[in-house]
Amino acid sequence: MELLRPSNLSELDGGVFLHGGTEVVPLLQDGLLSAETLVDVRGVVPRGVAGNVIGAGTTLGELEVEPGIPDALREACRLAASPQLRNMSSLGGNLLQATRCWYWRLGYDCRLHGGDRCHAREGEHREHAIFANDFCASAHPSDVAAALVALGGRLRTNRRELAVEELYRLPDEGDRRTTTLEDGELILEVELPAVEASVYLKAMDRKRWSFPQVGVAVASVAGETRIALAGVAPIPWRIDGIETLDTATPLPRTEWKLPLTRALVKRALTALG
Amino acid sequence: MARLIRTEKEVEGRFEEVWVVVEEDPLEQWPAGPREIVGRPATRKSGPERVRGEVRFTADLKLPGMLQAVVLRSPYAHARVKRIDLAPALALPGVRAAIGPGEAEGLVDEAGYSGAAVAAVAADTFRQARAAIDAIEIEWEELEVVLDADEAVRREQFTADPRHYERGDVDKALAGADVVVEATFRTQSVLHNSMETHQAICEWTGDVLNVYISTQFIWGVRDAVASTLEMPPDKVRVVCEFMGGGFGSKNGPDEYTFVAAELAKRTGRPVRCALTRREEHTAAGNRNATIQRLRAGARSDGTIVALEGEFTNALGWSGWNVSTEGPMKMLYDCENVRTVTYGAKINTPPMKAFRAPGFVEGTFGLECLVDELAAKLDMDPLELRRRNYAATNEGTPISSKELEECYRMAEPHWERRHEVRSRSDAVWKHGVGMASQIWYGGGGPPSYAWVRVGSDGRASVITAMQDIGTGTRTAMAQIAAEELRLPLDRVDVVLGDSARGPYASISAGSSTLPSMGPAVRAAAADAREQIEDIAEQRGMPRDAPVHEVVDLLEDAQILGKGARGPNPTGMSVLTFGVHVVEVAVDVETGEVVVERVAAIHDVGRIVNPLGASSQVEGGVIQGIGHTLSEDRLLDPETGRVLTSTLDSYRMPTIADVPEIVCEFVDKPDTHLTNLGSKGLGEPPIVPIAAAIANAIRDATGADVRELPISREEMLRALESAKERGRHGAPAAV
Repeated sequence: MELLRPSNLSELDGGVFLHGGTEVVPLLQDGLLSAETLVDVRGVVPRGVAGNVIGAGTTLGELEVEPGIPDALREACRLAASPQLRNMSSLGGNLLQATRCWYWRLGYDCRLHGGDRCHAREGEHREHAIFANDFCASAHPSDVAAALVALGGRLRTNRRELAVEELYRLPDEGDRRTTTLEDGELILEVELPAVEASVYLKAMDRKRWSFPQVGVAVASVAGETRIALAGVAPIPWRIDGIETLDTATPLPRTEWKLPLTRALVKRALTALG
Repeated sequence: MARLIRTEKEVEGRFEEVWVVVEEDPLEQWPAGPREIVGRPATRKSGPERVRGEVRFTADLKLPGMLQAVVLRSPYAHARVKRIDLAPALALPGVRAAIGPGEAEGLVDEAGYSGAAVAAVAADTFRQARAAIDAIEIEWEELEVVLDADEAVRREQFTADPRHYERGDVDKALAGADVVVEATFRTQSVLHNSMETHQAICEWTGDVLNVYISTQFIWGVRDAVASTLEMPPDKVRVVCEFMGGGFGSKNGPDEYTFVAAELAKRTGRPVRCALTRREEHTAAGNRNATIQRLRAGARSDGTIVALEGEFTNALGWSGWNVSTEGPMKMLYDCENVRTVTYGAKINTPPMKAFRAPGFVEGTFGLECLVDELAAKLDMDPLELRRRNYAATNEGTPISSKELEECYRMAEPHWERRHEVRSRSDAVWKHGVGMASQIWYGGGGPPSYAWVRVGSDGRASVITAMQDIGTGTRTAMAQIAAEELRLPLDRVDVVLGDSARGPYASISAGSSTLPSMGPAVRAAAADAREQIEDIAEQRGMPRDAPVHEVVDLLEDAQILGKGARGPNPTGMSVLTFGVHVVEVAVDVETGEVVVERVAAIHDVGRIVNPLGASSQVEGGVIQGIGHTLSEDRLLDPETGRVLTSTLDSYRMPTIADVPEIVCEFVDKPDTHLTNLGSKGLGEPPIVPIAAAIANAIRDATGADVRELPISREEMLRALESAKERGRHGAPAAV
């Protein structure tokens, strides 16, 4: 395996991108990701906050103390992972985290790995999805992604611009990927609109260092109230309002997430004012 | 004089009749209360060295030429090896030896759980060994898998015969009871998660096998290795100088030691076999899950007239049928008790002793049931417990029991409940709960210590015991310093090597201090008497300062020896306590926050109040994890462990730790040894789960009967309490 350290975007030519390494390194160790070439992109991905533009190389640790960003994003960063992880992990990398589904992490031949069944649906799924869980019941783990979706953030990559929401896709029979990122495409910046107010609430099974059982991000953007959820679907999940929760399709052991989500959405909306 | 006696020996609630040579222990106990050194807080010996990273754990050892071993483990919960070919592994770079089923103790050809050890490889590096493991060719024949404990009981698939117990006439008592409560309680499998994983380094020097191992029982490892390898025990030397936690899971050598020994023999090199964290989560043992179907009957005045329990221990592929029924038999003065305890043999990773095995689980069921009874009787839970106080242990006198004093000390904490409840609002409900603790912890003979005093005025306590991280070195130094009238910093404790000291007790079953402390005191007293004799011969007063007397010694040394005397005959030695817990419950999201724990324990004399508080805090924190968030999950189809990493198996972090108030009765057990101290390793983890569950009921009216009390369980319990409220049923059914 070789490690490249480009200093210029034009030098990018394939390979697996590596920033903080908090996700890629464990996946490589577990054989869930393989790479001939690792590309350390810290030299080419912008880092820091300039007005409403955030470099995708900014760490969660830097963002959690950044006064100039919307509350929901700052709070999502603060409540994620542990201080050690937040000091390493980048905003862009966080958006690309794989699910914590134990079957996927243990390398079961599940649908996300190209297989023909979702082991969680019939097996142990108490931490899994309540929406869009028919094909794959995994739950998306990123607090930050839910926050950025609610905030209506836009991404600039080395190839295009897109809404954060458009970064994600539900896996299906023909295509098992959960993002729309192409090979060689690298997230460079996140741009935020003017946000009037925003809130992020998170349920965990201990007070710190836990992926969201349910994360709720709400934001007022240009007079519109936007709601996005973490931990409830294979990708960050937008809902129109609290009544959308009536359309959830929980599995037997994820039913508990529904009243929890309902309570948190209500609280978040109240806090938003 | 030494005496051979037949006695009942107890470890972790397991009893066996053994012959023991005991020596009389003529020393009088010190009076109750703090002495010069004993009974006063002492900071940890080797604390600064630990913080500076200077002490050497087994995990830190690197012997010259040492190879790394990796174990091949079964991916199947039940399967037989049809064919195995180690040759492809041996052909890889750096690989020095490979062994398969039957070639080392613990390498099996029928795997009874996913994670069972089958083969092993030694290579120059860990990475090479792991690659070699992947290269082993193996064909499996899959066998039928049973994961459900109730199913195993139906099939009568047990690790040991079911255990039946009965006193009085339970059916008659239940029929005549004014109030009966009945409920099923479930506890989950939890993992020890020692910071230092299970590991050993084996090295042959001539015909001596040196075993460097992270263990709770140097002598147990020596004897088990010697008997398995058919060697004279003295040809096995076992070393464990510093140790990173065991909690009951490191009482014996296990397969990694035998793998290292065999590979070391074949290669002529030292071999380390260390479990990874993931192996630790699958193959290092666990607290078994339980199902407890319980019933209690009482008269309207609160007298408990009948207790009945059917206990199923979901043990896994092996393990002993722990005393989950123990608290039901022992905690209350109840004439009619009937229990049956099943040890279900299923295709899950095997149980291993875990900090008060059985009693932690049994206390959760019993003490929750007692609170449900109190609710139905409309009686104060503390009053109900006092009304059924047991003066004896099923008729046997108890060497000392200060549970009544614990209840008295608990009153101020219990009284806070009115104020705590008043903090409740529409969302956050606050409440207070309690639970009692009963457990063993008396230790026993044999155990020995030597004390050496030189002309430099320093003393060394020498004994081949282990300090498993509980502060044993410190407590032993305090006892010796007290007896020798030396300052604490003049006393060192030399331990951790079976070749460099006499036999010492296992550090399990809360037995280290009660077993070893009296031996150390006896050895120190022996040395002190010799020093006093010398003083007298020199015309000095017998109590002349020690350094003035030993100043005369030059190269001569004073050598004292001491042994642990017998336990009191015809008496039960037990520990007691009570926890009072304050919780807050978010009734909309199911979040449970433990806000305050008052832990009051009766363990006889406290040698080091600082170390004792640390033990209690550790037990409470570990117990909070078991109560709220830790859950070893298996795939229901394949039996594989799903929570094999620390992000999915969730132990509490420091943010989850509440205010913990530790109090001790601190009254010597006048029947027990020259010290009057019992063990404290296990008691603090026993009552915490039930106290939390009872506080939740106090706060919300919801009955939680299943561990862990996850949000799922909490929301379910709240919903069913709401249902019940709609139907106007009583609080506890």
